[in-house]
Amino acid sequence: MKAVLAPVDRCLNWSLVSLMACMVLAVTWQVVSRYLFASASAWTEEVARFLLIWIGMLGGAYAFRTGMHIGLDLLPKKLTGIPARNLRWFTQAVIILFALAVLVIGGGRLVLLTWELRQYSAVLGLPIAVVYSVIPLTGILIILFSFVGSDVSEHGDQD
Amino acid sequence: MSILVLLGVFVALFALGIPIAVSIGFATLATMLLTMAFDPAVTTIAQRMAGGLNSFALLAIPLFILSGQLMAHGGIARRLIEFSKALVGMVPGGLAFVNIVSCTLFGAISGSSVAATSAVGGFMIPEMSKEGYDRNFSAAITTTSSTTGLLIPPSNVLIIYAVASGGVSIAALFVAGYLPGILVSLGLATVCAIYAKRHGLPRGERVPIGTVARKTLAALPSLFLIVLVIGGILGGVFTATEAGAIAVLYTFVLSTVIYRETRLSELSAIILKATETTAIVMFLIGTSMAMSWLLAYENVPAIVASSLVALSDNPIMILLLINIVLLVVGIFMDMTPAVLIFTPIFLPVAMQLGISPLQFGIIMVLNLCIGLCTPPVGSLLFVGCAIAKTSISQIVRPMLPLYFAMFAVLMLVTYVPQISEALPRLFGLLD
Repeated sequence: MKAVLAPVDRCLNWSLVSLMACMVLAVTWQVVSRYLFASASAWTEEVARFLLIWIGMLGGAYAFRTGMHIGLDLLPKKLTGIPARNLRWFTQAVIILFALAVLVIGGGRLVLLTWELRQYSAVLGLPIAVVYSVIPLTGILIILFSFVGSDVSEHGDQD
Repeated sequence: MSILVLLGVFVALFALGIPIAVSIGFATLATMLLTMAFDPAVTTIAQRMAGGLNSFALLAIPLFILSGQLMAHGGIARRLIEFSKALVGMVPGGLAFVNIVSCTLFGAISGSSVAATSAVGGFMIPEMSKEGYDRNFSAAITTTSSTTGLLIPPSNVLIIYAVASGGVSIAALFVAGYLPGILVSLGLATVCAIYAKRHGLPRGERVPIGTVARKTLAALPSLFLIVLVIGGILGGVFTATEAGAIAVLYTFVLSTVIYRETRLSELSAIILKATETTAIVMFLIGTSMAMSWLLAYENVPAIVASSLVALSDNPIMILLLINIVLLVVGIFMDMTPAVLIFTPIFLPVAMQLGISPLQFGIIMVLNLCIGLCTPPVGSLLFVGCAIAKTSISQIVRPMLPLYFAMFAVLMLVTYVPQISEALPRLFGLLD
């Protein structure tokens, strides 16, 4: 089962690094262009904001994969044996339910809705549905990762 | 009624160890389903999550996280430590002060406290142990002094507060953080001075003046980031977000070309790590935005405001009460959701009492900084313990006087608005 995920992992890691690099370049270009051409290019801000949505969502799925999302680990650390296994099952069930309801169904409806309403972004004229399509995609990835089980069961530590 | 469901579901899931972001999102969903059909409920939450991230101000966060990661890998921390040694190493308990000064300086160029704890602590804690300092004391010092980075700009938490408060200027918040952050450092240094006297801690070597000059010169390119980032923002050269991108480029050049301590092959791993840290924060922001929307929809801020005012009409008491609530929140909750959820609830009350949104932001962040260093959910405490290879139960004892120092500064910042407002006023960012 883990072998199935290898290409998904590679693809996800690669996408995240590229998205982040693009975001840095877009914001940098905004500063540079303002001083070079005396007027800020409007598309950089929009592109950077959309990239942030993608990074936040896809990266969120990635953090489920690495088990780095922050949580209270008192109980999971204390339990052993069957109760510990039951708790892990329950945790995965809640995560899957959330991902399915909010991200896959809610996000999917959002994509359809913005597509039907023909919403386009202000500067680039990009369909908003394309930007939002990352939400159901993230949901599917989280569900996939939950079924296979995250690499690390410990919760992470970020500020 | 619906608020009880929200709180109940959240606390239950959180206590069971479900990630906070999911606990918040799931509790929001469960509460909305009480009064709403399934389809609009899930669509609203998804929309709030994505919409919450669609912000140019928030873009500064991944950029400062990335530059912080580059700093942690690129030899910048080590040069700041050597500079601090030349500066304060010669007094009794010198290394403890070096630790505080290094963490504060690191905080002044990076936006995150975890990077400071791991970068500075990784060097300082082993070195302090070698000199006979108690390992738990060293870890406690590193952890608490790293929080100054969240008050001293650039600060990711202050950016989140700016978004949550709906329009406090990031530049003003950044400048406002300097004095409170330095006060925290001074408070911690006072505790160290007493501790050093009582335990007869060793002095560091007096460094010859030539070495001081050399160490200062080596640290200057790192310290120049303060001028570049904060000067650029204050001078109106660029926004906080753009300053983040400039900081990334500058630290990249500094650590690969000038200090030559980061190899290009390590770059994608550093970016991926920064992306992960970013996404953890962004995912939390997404679900917290959804919950915050629900709270506003249920009129919670107005209810809390009127009940707080009914409880007491003494502003000093109400402020103390808000502080206590925030301290408890900080003990159990991560900073990001705490700021996003409690700012809309408490800020209107504070403003009624004549507290400026600027000062309230500093009060809130300082409160949550203390929470970062307390078990059971003090993320910074975990990092500090992991680096010092010690356990939470052992580190808490040396922490106690340091908590007290931070609390004393919190009281000062709460009741003396000038501490937060003097500098922004000086720079014309507050009228």
